[in-house]
Amino acid sequence: MTTKTVKVAMLSFAHQHAIGYAMVLNALPDVEITVIADEDADRGQHWAQTFNTQWVASIDEALAMDVDCVVVCSENVHHKTMTIAAAKAGKHVLCEKPLATTVDDATSMIAACEEAGVQLMTAFPVRFNASILALKDAVHSEHFGETLTIAARNPGTNPGQWFVDPALSGGGAVIDHTVHVVDVLRFIYGAEVTEVYAQSGNKLAGGVSDDTGLLMFKLSNGVPVSLDTSWTRPSNWPIWGGVTLDVIGEFGVLFANAYNNNYDLAETTTPSYTWQPVEHTGDPEMVSAFIDAVRNGTDVPVTGTDGLRALEVALAAMKSAESNQLEPITHA
Amino acid sequence: MSTNEAVDKRPATAEEMASRPVRFAVVGTGGMGGTHARNLAGSSEAEVTWLVDIDTDRANKLAADIGGKVTPSMDEAFSSGEVDVALIALPTGLHRMGVEAAAKHKIHVFCEKPIARTNEDAIAMTQICKDAGVTLMVGHVVRFFSEYMRIKEQLEAGTLGDIAMVRGSRINPPVMERSPWFADVAVSGGVVLDLMIHEIDTFRWMFGDVERLFAHGLSFTDWHTKRDHAIASLTFRDGTIAHCEASWAHSAFRTSIEVAGSKGLAKHSSFDSSTLIFEPSTGVEYEGIGQQSKQFTYMRPTVTPPHLRELLVFIDCLRTGKPVPVDGDEATRTLIVANAVLDSMRENRVIEFNEDGSVKQA
Ligand SMILES: NC(=O)c1ccc[n+]([C@@H]2O[C@H](COP(=O)([O-])OP(=O)(O)OC[C@H]3O[C@@H](n4cnc5c(N)ncnc54)[C@H](O)[C@@H]3O)[C@@H](O)[C@H]2O)c1
Repeated sequence: MTTKTVKVAMLSFAHQHAIGYAMVLNALPDVEITVIADEDADRGQHWAQTFNTQWVASIDEALAMDVDCVVVCSENVHHKTMTIAAAKAGKHVLCEKPLATTVDDATSMIAACEEAGVQLMTAFPVRFNASILALKDAVHSEHFGETLTIAARNPGTNPGQWFVDPALSGGGAVIDHTVHVVDVLRFIYGAEVTEVYAQSGNKLAGGVSDDTGLLMFKLSNGVPVSLDTSWTRPSNWPIWGGVTLDVIGEFGVLFANAYNNNYDLAETTTPSYTWQPVEHTGDPEMVSAFIDAVRNGTDVPVTGTDGLRALEVALAAMKSAESNQLEPITHA
Repeated sequence: MSTNEAVDKRPATAEEMASRPVRFAVVGTGGMGGTHARNLAGSSEAEVTWLVDIDTDRANKLAADIGGKVTPSMDEAFSSGEVDVALIALPTGLHRMGVEAAAKHKIHVFCEKPIARTNEDAIAMTQICKDAGVTLMVGHVVRFFSEYMRIKEQLEAGTLGDIAMVRGSRINPPVMERSPWFADVAVSGGVVLDLMIHEIDTFRWMFGDVERLFAHGLSFTDWHTKRDHAIASLTFRDGTIAHCEASWAHSAFRTSIEVAGSKGLAKHSSFDSSTLIFEPSTGVEYEGIGQQSKQFTYMRPTVTPPHLRELLVFIDCLRTGKPVPVDGDEATRTLIVANAVLDSMRENRVIEFNEDGSVKQA
């Protein structure tokens, strides 16, 4: 029996995560990046050359090709049109987080994929990280007992570009970095966020978008959580940022630092000091899970609804940062 | 006349205290009082003349090591004529009683943090000391830890630019087994008044007054007798957003601070920066290293421990008449924020402050 090659169209390299996903796709057996569609010709041609494939400017042209699925890494605000176009063309979708910039956009993406009978997966690689998976086992072991409270962080460097333009990103640091940890918590505990208080600011970069965010929220299982979503890492910070969860439990404390397997590297050029990954898991496992689902016709492990639930928390947090009040989370 | 009246007394003068070691009565010889007494006894600037504790066995053990007379009665020590300064290291709910007794005897006071359990007590104690003409300093010791001093210097030099976000944590094992009074939130204020008050005070010292806060934690749940843990979001008037975490749920003591601004980031963690780590092998019992010799322990030995540094600064202020770095008013402002953290936690609501540091009524 020969394995069918899964053919992928990558729609936009506006989000730099596309690079990592393309590296994984290129390394997987029986997977082909058939085309890179990007309206930015320089960018599209550059990455097409790097990943040894063709470039087209138009999404429609790519969707007319013989591909099984698409990877959407556009500016957040364009996730909707690209996903719906892909669904109408009968292609499965792996969409970068946040799934969309509004609840309406997210629900119409989910509906369009359902109608077309294609799968929609939200790109949440952190729940595929080995230390997060180990944390999930550990918090549910009898040795840990009940989870009492959690302090979580997803601080990063300011990505600049369109990320700081709310018209394209839907916000700033809060919408960018709330969703990963919220997804991980939903994954670990099978619980939803019920209410959120948040404060945000824009003093780090002084731009129009927020670049600083601190969320305080409660899970439906009663566990209170704090989450730092800030772009506090300066551009010369030794690493891009990280994801950490400090989980206080009945019989002890668990610290997960998902991307801490690094070595220190000091260079005589700038940046003079960096932390280089020894092993960062998550991206390869997530991308191959999507490809497996496409190949085997099985359910994707992370759905569009998962993306929507995380987005709802981010949007409520942005609202709270305006109102300075606890905001309830309602589900679309 | 009863010794309690003490009407004819006057506080020790700067000249007197400059001419000889300053004479301390250490009141409460538990964890903190014991550390202070040993530090003072080891310094040429001070002398421990009295150790006061209702647990006289504990005080006698300490006296056997460092000297000093022992009594269960503050009045006996304070009326002896051998005390310039009372160091109050009693359980938090008793601080007012100790400070009032000292002020009545016209004795200067160094009071452990928090200044009191309630805001009302703190305000009253501050006034009583002013009226009695005695100097009051409160032991917000984190201001005397080298790493926090260095970061404060960077802030003042503007190295980090406009500060946006700051985090501080103070993590400890549960303390209720060793000292059961900590389990009674009404007396101790739980982990917020024991540990988080350090972050609140340090951040007030760095960033000024708080505008708004929200908190959650275990202090008002059934867990609080075994574990306590609290997290607060503080927004300062200068716009700095702060995350404070305090815990009695861990196995070792650790602190961390991180300050992020428009020009850079400074970060310190006591654990990451330890210079001496003790890790027992499984099944082997070690003796003699650290207080918790059978547990994983990490250390950063120093020449002048911060708890001694704060007392040496206090002694210098007494001798020169310089204002103390943390007086009753300053400590009260910190306490008001800490008590608001408890209120926010208990009532699940956002608390706002007036410009004068008082809580805005909802
Ligand atoms: N600055 C710091 O780093 C730090 C650290 C720990 C504790 N503290 C503070 O120090 C104070 C004491 O805490 P601790 O951990 O040493 O507590 P502890 O329980 O170890 O010691 C309290 C002592 O007070 C004695 N005592 C109780 N009632 C008394 C009374 N009526 N008269 C005389 N003695 C009495 C007890 O017998 C005990 O020896 C608290 O306010 C705490 O917040 C500060």
